[in-house]
Amino acid sequence: MAKQQEESNSNPAAAAAGDWENFRDDDIMLQHSAIRAEQADKIPFLGDKEPLSALAAEYQSGSSILLEKIKILDEKYSAIRRTRGDGNCFFRSFMFSYLEHILETQDKAEVDRVKANVEECRKTLQSLGYADFTFEDFFGLFLEQLENVIQGTDASISHDELVERSRDQSISDYVVMFFRFITSGEIRKRAEFFEPFILGLNNATVDQFCKSSVEPMGEESDHVHIIALSDALGVPVRVVYLDRSSCDTGGVSVNHHDFVPSALSSGGSGLEINPYITLLYRPGHYDILYPK
Amino acid sequence: MATTDKYNLKNPAVKRILMEVKEMQSNPSEDFMSLPLEENIFEWQFAIRGPQDTEFEGGIYHGRIQLPSEYPFKPPSFMLLTPNGRFETQTKICLSISNHHPEHWQPSWSVRTALVALIAFMPTAPNGALGSLDYKKEERRELAIKSREASPKFGTPDRQKVIDEIHEYMLSKAPPVPENLKQASEENPGEKEAEAEGSENAGRSANSVDSANAGGERAAEEPQAAVDNANANANAVDQREAVPRQVRAGISNQQVQQRLAPRNQRPSDDRFLTWAAVGLAVAIVFLVLKKLVKSSGYDAIFLRES
Repeated sequence: MAKQQEESNSNPAAAAAGDWENFRDDDIMLQHSAIRAEQADKIPFLGDKEPLSALAAEYQSGSSILLEKIKILDEKYSAIRRTRGDGNCFFRSFMFSYLEHILETQDKAEVDRVKANVEECRKTLQSLGYADFTFEDFFGLFLEQLENVIQGTDASISHDELVERSRDQSISDYVVMFFRFITSGEIRKRAEFFEPFILGLNNATVDQFCKSSVEPMGEESDHVHIIALSDALGVPVRVVYLDRSSCDTGGVSVNHHDFVPSALSSGGSGLEINPYITLLYRPGHYDILYPK
Repeated sequence: MATTDKYNLKNPAVKRILMEVKEMQSNPSEDFMSLPLEENIFEWQFAIRGPQDTEFEGGIYHGRIQLPSEYPFKPPSFMLLTPNGRFETQTKICLSISNHHPEHWQPSWSVRTALVALIAFMPTAPNGALGSLDYKKEERRELAIKSREASPKFGTPDRQKVIDEIHEYMLSKAPPVPENLKQASEENPGEKEAEAEGSENAGRSANSVDSANAGGERAAEEPQAAVDNANANANAVDQREAVPRQVRAGISNQQVQQRLAPRNQRPSDDRFLTWAAVGLAVAIVFLVLKKLVKSSGYDAIFLRES
């Protein structure tokens, strides 16, 4: 209460406010922000690049299967970059991995290609009845990042700046939300395709699923989200699974799954798709992996 | 616009709010009006029109909106200033009652969406939610008549100016409170839901309890459906839904056929609900009688087995 009075004194507009703070919505939100603050103390939105030995260290006294698997990972992958476990980790990992890839390769053709896909997604949202102003900011901010990682303009940014931006809530959250819009639009557009997956996942309709599990911030991503985002943007994603499962034959191997956009896989070009986004999945969480 | 100069357009929340203001102005509605205060763009005033064919029809209900600095990632807060008999005044409306669970708030919703939802929720049963009132229809109607006489007095002179401006606009759009409150031919689905819940304690003997419950749940989803349409094209909203007929939310002219289609099957549901409620009432009367009879010791006459 004292805090409330203090606030209303300092803010004349809120002086007449009275009881904004007393409701259970606020309790729920307070609890949510407390949980987020706790996570924030542990790790920024995006961590530093760490050697795989850092991953192994986590399981020193843990499962031997996992340690075996990390050893196998060590042969193929050089480093890991962690993301905050706040339910947005898949999207944050995807954002940084993709922008970092563009920054390093300066692949302008890819930028043009993805921009065309983004335009398609914009039309999708419009045709689904989304009001422009509800997604415009998020689209704008992502396209700005995309342009900024291309070098040679005044607005170009370095790798360090990209890391910094990815840790800045006012950028990172907006890009996450951009991906959530893209994902939701793709799922709704191809509702017939996604319906059975969604039914199997949590027995919801496509609309309910998008409303409760895609569009709200902090809702975790599943393979449905990955398929939709990868398809919509035309960006293949490799997910490496680190869990306790082991082969019957006794040997230990690490599974991975490539999410290849339908546009690429049905092209029948016969070319092997090599995703440049590699994510490490541990039940409930995604981090970024760097191949050797 | 004067507000534009004073704010940091780099602030994404400000940018978004300005877009919403602009959008509101270019697509005015007859059912609500909302404006930010000159001195603080995060503080808005609004007024909504009481939904047609309800005891709120003709009423003009003012309120305040507060947008959080994290908007649109966090939901806006709403508070009514005009006594209305459904929501307490000067008390934040609990969004949870409107299916707008704060943890599921999403940036694709807007002040417009929330206002349409608020209108849709006026005729629903409060079910004891915090900040809700359950006045009788006649009392609500009295308040609706009174709400037109003068705008509420609240806050600074600047704010009062905005409130008065909104009041004038709404008076020009909202037809007066109808002379005779129409015989409520279709009872409020929300009330049935409440009945159904109440009767669960009484006993499960009547089959109609379960079916009425199912119906009630479906009815509770309707306002949510209205919310969807708000950002799409509300002209297509079925008249039987809790939303007033002419929610001119039409931001996009494109129809959202596939999202609207399944919701246009209300009439048969409504009839079903009415019968379910009748069945339920009979069941309740029976149960109450049974209880009375039992407690007064004459049960043997009526119910030999007990």
